[in-house]
Amino acid sequence: MSHGGVNVTRGNEQEDRDASRRLGADGFGRAVSKVAVAQICESVGFQSFKDSALEALTDIAIRYLSDLGKTARFYANLAGRTECNVFDIVRGLEELEASQGFPGASEVNNCLAGSGMVRGIIEYVGSAEEIPFAQPVPQFPVIKNRKLIPSFVQMDEMPPGKHIPAWLPALPDPHTYIHTPVWNERATDPRADKMEQARQRRKAERSLLSLQQRLLSDGSVGTSALASSSDVKELDGVDKNPFLGTPLQPGQKDVSPVVLPSKPLDEMVGRNHISVLEAFAPAIEAVKGGFSDDGEDGKKVLPDVRPAVQLKFRTGKKFLGESLDLSLQKGVGRAASWVARDDERDDKKRRAEFILRHTTEFPQELSQL
Amino acid sequence: MNHNQQSSDGMHEDEAALSDFLASLMDYTPTIPDELVEHYLAKSGFQCPDVRLIRLVAVATQKFVAEVATDALQQCKARQATVVKDKRDKQQKDKRLMLTMEDLSRALHEYGVNVKHQEYFADSPSTGMDPASRDE
Repeated sequence: MSHGGVNVTRGNEQEDRDASRRLGADGFGRAVSKVAVAQICESVGFQSFKDSALEALTDIAIRYLSDLGKTARFYANLAGRTECNVFDIVRGLEELEASQGFPGASEVNNCLAGSGMVRGIIEYVGSAEEIPFAQPVPQFPVIKNRKLIPSFVQMDEMPPGKHIPAWLPALPDPHTYIHTPVWNERATDPRADKMEQARQRRKAERSLLSLQQRLLSDGSVGTSALASSSDVKELDGVDKNPFLGTPLQPGQKDVSPVVLPSKPLDEMVGRNHISVLEAFAPAIEAVKGGFSDDGEDGKKVLPDVRPAVQLKFRTGKKFLGESLDLSLQKGVGRAASWVARDDERDDKKRRAEFILRHTTEFPQELSQL
Repeated sequence: MNHNQQSSDGMHEDEAALSDFLASLMDYTPTIPDELVEHYLAKSGFQCPDVRLIRLVAVATQKFVAEVATDALQQCKARQATVVKDKRDKQQKDKRLMLTMEDLSRALHEYGVNVKHQEYFADSPSTGMDPASRDE
């Protein structure tokens, strides 16, 4: 199976990456051996290699090297030594070459120094040209200095028992294995918390629902009657635009704040409109700083205002921009589709979206009013 | 006696030759670097502080690899000779000598190493095609 011919210079980077991914524990040694074997083959006369063939030859060279070491060690141990000498190596070489045969293999009592193997090697060194390895190889494997656990003496601690000598590693700190529970120190009043939570929810619901009613009944371009009960905080005197009048007389009964949102559209028409201010009051407080400046910039005529201008709002939430596009470009008809969408969506999500989406319309309407 | 003397003289010569050779090894730089040889010898339990012996092992391995490569080269050239005979008019397509698994396995067979490789893996559209026509 061919991986494609690989040059000695290894111009193919993809092969390098694949090869490096396959490296195992001895990766560095194998890589260095591969280069060395390739250099030897090149000196013999090959100009290019198949990758698999080169790897096989590298494997064999490494095996040869290891076997030579093992055999030499064996002979040294046999002679009662732990360190090998030249004769052990020569014996090892003879053993490896036994299948091939070398001159003098049959001689039994000869001195190893004169063995055919040695002569063969000497000849080889004499004849073959010297090819040093291509790159400097660092000493490997690299031994890392381990950080040991300090002993009792080093930590200046006394071991907890007399039976423990001081030079042993110290025992771990108690906080590493003793778990002490941590209590919450804050005083909580569950009743007060619940009441506060309910109050905030009611507030949000009220504004959302009234807002929704308002918008559904007269569309996005609408006015509102001045509310008798008002939470007007920032702006005073919301005037009703006579040209954008509502079908109902102002000053009629206030709509109760708790209204089911799934009521059909024609029922909503019958209700009075709550002041925009009242509906938007909580949201106004939140985004007052962002809208007040931009809201006054000549937005007298709604359809002509480019949505791009309003996208400069500092709150900068994405769906603000989208909702403006929807409201301005598509006009009044969006009210109906909003209803449909509301019915599908989740209650909470709807509320949140309504608050944030329609706060941007508020400054326009304020300027018109 | 004479024989012994001769043999002892021979021994001295051999030993002298060997020690000279080991000394000359320090000038010769084997292709296989010393660090690599030391690593694999240490892995197999070979203990020796003498650098000359490391060089000796490196040179022995180099000789072995060179022999195998030479045999593979001869196989490759032999194959090219048979191929070229058929197409003399065409320019020799595979001028480059490439080390392939076929040549290597034939060369290693004499050394008692049995290297076989897969004929093909059916994992790409070009499997089973003539290697010469495959894009390499």
